Amino acid sequence: MERKFKQMLFIFLMGSLFIGLVACNSESEDAGGTDSGADSGELSGEVTMWTASLAGEPFDTYFADLEAAFEDLHPELDVIIEDIPQNEIEQKVLTSLTGDDVPDLVNLAPRYMVNIAAQGGLLELNDLVSDEVKGSYLEGPFESGHFEDGLYALPWYLTTTVSWYNGDHFEQAGITETPTSTQEIYDTSKTITEETGKPSFYQIINEGDTVMSKMITLANGEPIVENGKAVLQNNEDIIEFFTLTQKMYQEGIMPQENAEGSFSTAQELFMAGNLSLTESGVTFLGPMESGAPAIYEVSKAGQPLNDVNAPMDVAVMNFSIPSKTSNPDAAVALAEFVTNAENQLEFAELAGTVLPSTTESLEDDYFQNPGDSPKATGMLEASKSLERAEVLVPVVENSAELREAVKIAYVENLQGKLTPEEALEKIAEQWDASFEKTGEDITF
Amino acid sequence: MKGKSRNKKIIVYFLMIVITVITVGPFLYTLFIALKSPSQGIYDGLLPTDPSLINFVDAFKKTDFMLYLWNTVIVTGIAVPLNLLFSSLAGYALARSNFKGRTLVLTLIISTMTVPFQLYMAPLFQIAGEMGLRNTHVGLTILQISTAFGIYFMRQAFLNIPKELEESAYMDGANPFQVWLKIAVPLVKPTIISLAIYTFTFTWGDYLWPLLNTTDSTMYTLSIALAQMSQNFDGGNLKLISAASILTTIPSLLIFIWLQKYFISGATDGAVKG
Repeated sequence: MERKFKQMLFIFLMGSLFIGLVACNSESEDAGGTDSGADSGELSGEVTMWTASLAGEPFDTYFADLEAAFEDLHPELDVIIEDIPQNEIEQKVLTSLTGDDVPDLVNLAPRYMVNIAAQGGLLELNDLVSDEVKGSYLEGPFESGHFEDGLYALPWYLTTTVSWYNGDHFEQAGITETPTSTQEIYDTSKTITEETGKPSFYQIINEGDTVMSKMITLANGEPIVENGKAVLQNNEDIIEFFTLTQKMYQEGIMPQENAEGSFSTAQELFMAGNLSLTESGVTFLGPMESGAPAIYEVSKAGQPLNDVNAPMDVAVMNFSIPSKTSNPDAAVALAEFVTNAENQLEFAELAGTVLPSTTESLEDDYFQNPGDSPKATGMLEASKSLERAEVLVPVVENSAELREAVKIAYVENLQGKLTPEEALEKIAEQWDASFEKTGEDITF
Repeated sequence: MKGKSRNKKIIVYFLMIVITVITVGPFLYTLFIALKSPSQGIYDGLLPTDPSLINFVDAFKKTDFMLYLWNTVIVTGIAVPLNLLFSSLAGYALARSNFKGRTLVLTLIISTMTVPFQLYMAPLFQIAGEMGLRNTHVGLTILQISTAFGIYFMRQAFLNIPKELEESAYMDGANPFQVWLKIAVPLVKPTIISLAIYTFTFTWGDYLWPLLNTTDSTMYTLSIALAQMSQNFDGGNLKLISAASILTTIPSLLIFIWLQKYFISGATDGAVKG
């Protein structure tokens, strides 16, 4: 037994040595430098792009083709595209900036972009991008790349809010139209719940950001913050929203899980047939086709659940260039290439649940006549609501604090721990304190 | 008396069933989702009505699963033996050698366990880069080779060996290395196997460091592949994610089942003497 153990130990040690040598030997092929071709006029060297959570098919083939097409345009250039899980991409970029191993182009959400830009980690792009390219993007999404008077990102794909409902539940309750006000949401959801015996409406909260943009939509042009002072507590429509959602939660029209409020919980409830109505982006339907085919078939999209002229929020995915890039010209050229109308249209068609950020791609027949599948109706409704969509919540230094204050107060309001007036007063106090701390003189 | 004993048994069995449901339940639930066919919804009943392996096949087809599996095997294959070697050498020295500052060294090693990884990941990233360990299998293992936990765990096990056994070996002319290898190590075999399982589990599932230290996706490990799937921008395919999760868990499960009798005795051995 002892001998056998010694033999095992010996094999382990030899094995580790062998594997270690093999592993070490297979590295260090990337010794080639990353020259910028800026001086010679022609782009050359290496340019590395990081995408966020776009691995696997069909994206692998799309990016391989994109890489080849860009290399054809610039034969001296070697394009490397890697995918990073989205939740860690900010941390990975920040860590890479402490060394020299930085990517040249990164796919970032605006909140990550602001945090990295605030630490001096991103290149200011105003002088590097032509006016023609700037003008090719939709105005709202393009604005999301700005931070403190600088341009730090170019917009890529988007999603905007639509309403999603279970067609069977609506039919069962004899409802033919989606609501367009908070009172109508209450009436519709109450009827469905009485018919199905299940909670029917879910208000996505996420980190508080979804409720924040909902409040701006409800305010319909009236500011909720004026010169760094919260003024939301007196808005009748916002008070009504807090009052009726609290009532729906207490009456079981909204599920108990709504206190958690995440996008994925809404998806799970909807897929299980335990939800009839919610507001979300087109991506909401993403896992539905494979995860709940029967529910997918009866899923229907409509306009967002508020005034048809109210401004809607748009969520943007951007491209930024880290300040330590060794090949800025190639990075800018690649960012422009990936986000041009043709490539964005192809990407949106492939992804099936996102919209492009260029005006030209949106004019394509794909968005004008997308067909009648649930995803296609979602795309159609989203492209309609995109006409009144903009980035409603400006990205500011204290964004995280603002979101958190809303999330906590809104959940306490749902649970009846605070009255709607108290919840809004609490948000206002915390926002005022936060703006005072940062000295932000902002209106939105 | 008999009734009391039966009641006790019922309570024990009830508790065992509850604990089994809590621990094994999520695994089985994931397995059932992975086995559901494309036509069955995730929430359409607990059991798959028409079981299918299509999701497992897709996990291989739609991702570079084999490549990530191979990377994980290599990384674990390096980390486990090296951690056993260095931890048992250091642990033995700290248990048996009387050198000045031994307690200080032990305290310093143990205190590193309290430092969160986020605090030193940036300097570690830089050092790994400067040493040419970026995008290398060895580079992915540096957190698991010679861990503070391993050293402490082995030291505790060596302290349990009667000194007389080693003294007689010295009298027969053995040197300290021979005593370590031929006398001490065989006597702490269960602890070594326990440490091997711990190291295997940590390395197999390690996520943040492999992600930070790789800028080349061909070096990704299984945990990164799973994160990529589950963080897909529209929520991902839950059946595929479940299948990939099961495939990722199987090796750890098999190794644990194979070595579990050593694992239990080893884990308790290390806790006897302070």
